[in-house]
Amino acid sequence: MPIGALWRPEIMIKLDHVTKTYKNGTIALDDVSLEIEKGEFVFLVGSSGSGKTTFLRLLLREELPDRGTIWEAGRDIVNLPKWRVPYLRRNIGCVFQDFRLLQNKTVFENVAFALEVIGRPKSVIEAQVPQVLELVGLAHKRDNLPSELSGGEQQRVAIARAFVNRPLILLADEPTGNLDPKISEGIMSLLDRINKSGTTVVMATHDKALVDRMRLRVIELDHGTLVRDQHRGVYGIDGDGGVQR
Amino acid sequence: MASFSQYVVKETTTNLWRNRVTTAAAVFTVMISLFLVGASLVLGQGASNAEIKWQQGTLVTVWMEPGASAQEIAAVQTQLDAFPYVHGCYYRTQAQDYEEAQHLLTATELSVLKPEQIPSSIRCIPNESQDAKLVIAKFSGQPGVFGSPTAPIQYLKTIQRVITTAQYAVLVVALVLLLSSAVLILNTIRMAIFARKREVAVMKLVGATNWFIRVPFIFEGLVQGFIGSALAALFIWIGEAFWRVRTESQSPDGLLHQMLLSNWQLFWCETIVILLGMTIGSIGSAIAIRRFLDV
Repeated sequence: MPIGALWRPEIMIKLDHVTKTYKNGTIALDDVSLEIEKGEFVFLVGSSGSGKTTFLRLLLREELPDRGTIWEAGRDIVNLPKWRVPYLRRNIGCVFQDFRLLQNKTVFENVAFALEVIGRPKSVIEAQVPQVLELVGLAHKRDNLPSELSGGEQQRVAIARAFVNRPLILLADEPTGNLDPKISEGIMSLLDRINKSGTTVVMATHDKALVDRMRLRVIELDHGTLVRDQHRGVYGIDGDGGVQR
Repeated sequence: MASFSQYVVKETTTNLWRNRVTTAAAVFTVMISLFLVGASLVLGQGASNAEIKWQQGTLVTVWMEPGASAQEIAAVQTQLDAFPYVHGCYYRTQAQDYEEAQHLLTATELSVLKPEQIPSSIRCIPNESQDAKLVIAKFSGQPGVFGSPTAPIQYLKTIQRVITTAQYAVLVVALVLLLSSAVLILNTIRMAIFARKREVAVMKLVGATNWFIRVPFIFEGLVQGFIGSALAALFIWIGEAFWRVRTESQSPDGLLHQMLLSNWQLFWCETIVILLGMTIGSIGSAIAIRRFLDV
């Protein structure tokens, strides 16, 4: 299908009738279609097993849909050749609930790793890593190992690593899931700042207070089906002025 | 490019050190199996050397009747010189053959043997060792010829058969060990990768290409293979030097002496061993990493 007919330049992510069924018969996503604009901040909500993680894995091309098409920044990622996938991922930052930091590397090395593996020269690494550590407020802990940091600090390192390459999209899979409410606020405001710099953020979360406070776009999944897509939405069923798309 | 090579060197050394016990196990297995492979190569080359020398030194002895006339001896000698399968001949008198017999026979046997009973002989070098049979067939029963000419054909055949069998046996054992060392290297690397599964996953997430992830692991296998095979080559060199020292005092006609390798031949055997080690190491690790990259 010609992309020109479907694509508008302000769209960053587009899912078109996407269905994903696992081998055991579980329908993770069922005919989901949606668009996310450039620079948008989207909360992905729903109970466990609703398909949030599959949604993010599909955007990361860790999974392929059984049917449907996914576009990111104007590119059809379903039909992307396998060898191009690493280059796609360089435009996508990822943050996870369990941080996924390398325990034998320092804070600086963990963040630098993201640049090292894509072949950035040392001079660029030396310049960009301190900047991003400054942004996440961990410049003074650059030589610490992850085990010497609190959960919130580790998540900040993970965000720094995801953002150091200035990705177009940042995917966050329950980034505040292991953190207390106060720390979660800090992480949320950090993601908000990143979003304000122009990066599109898609965040899967169970944090009701956070979603309700931010009043941003909310996409709700239930057993793989898109059941709600609202601007200025809240976590649960909107009774407070949310706008149905 | 410079930062990538720095990265590869850093990752390889870190991993080799982190997995030093399994690295040592892989290195020793490569060393032992390639030592056997190298030994079979050296033995094969030695057998080939000895075979060439035997071919050049195989003698057919045409024994002449003790009472053969000078004309009969001259006639046989002329025919031998004209025979196309013969490279060259020389005549040994009865006295010379008796002297030789004194070294070969026991005192009891010599006591009943008189010099005039000993046949004189014409000794010929055939073009090829197998041509000895033709000489024997042609000159058996000729006037003045005593019985059938003789050549150590059976002895040569036996020695060759023993060496060939030994060569095959060592080669089969070496190949089995080579295969098992390849599997061990593969397993070692797989363990190393499994320990770094999380790291590989993070690398994939941040957009590292498969080759970027693969190269340090392949390099790791290459280093293991190189160290193992270099040690094997060292032991082969020591073994060959020991063999040389032991055989120096022996007669140049001795089997072990004839099998000695030239420096150039030894160099090639060692080079093959080292190249084999490096190939097994790098291919083994390239196979091991494959399944972890399929994300």
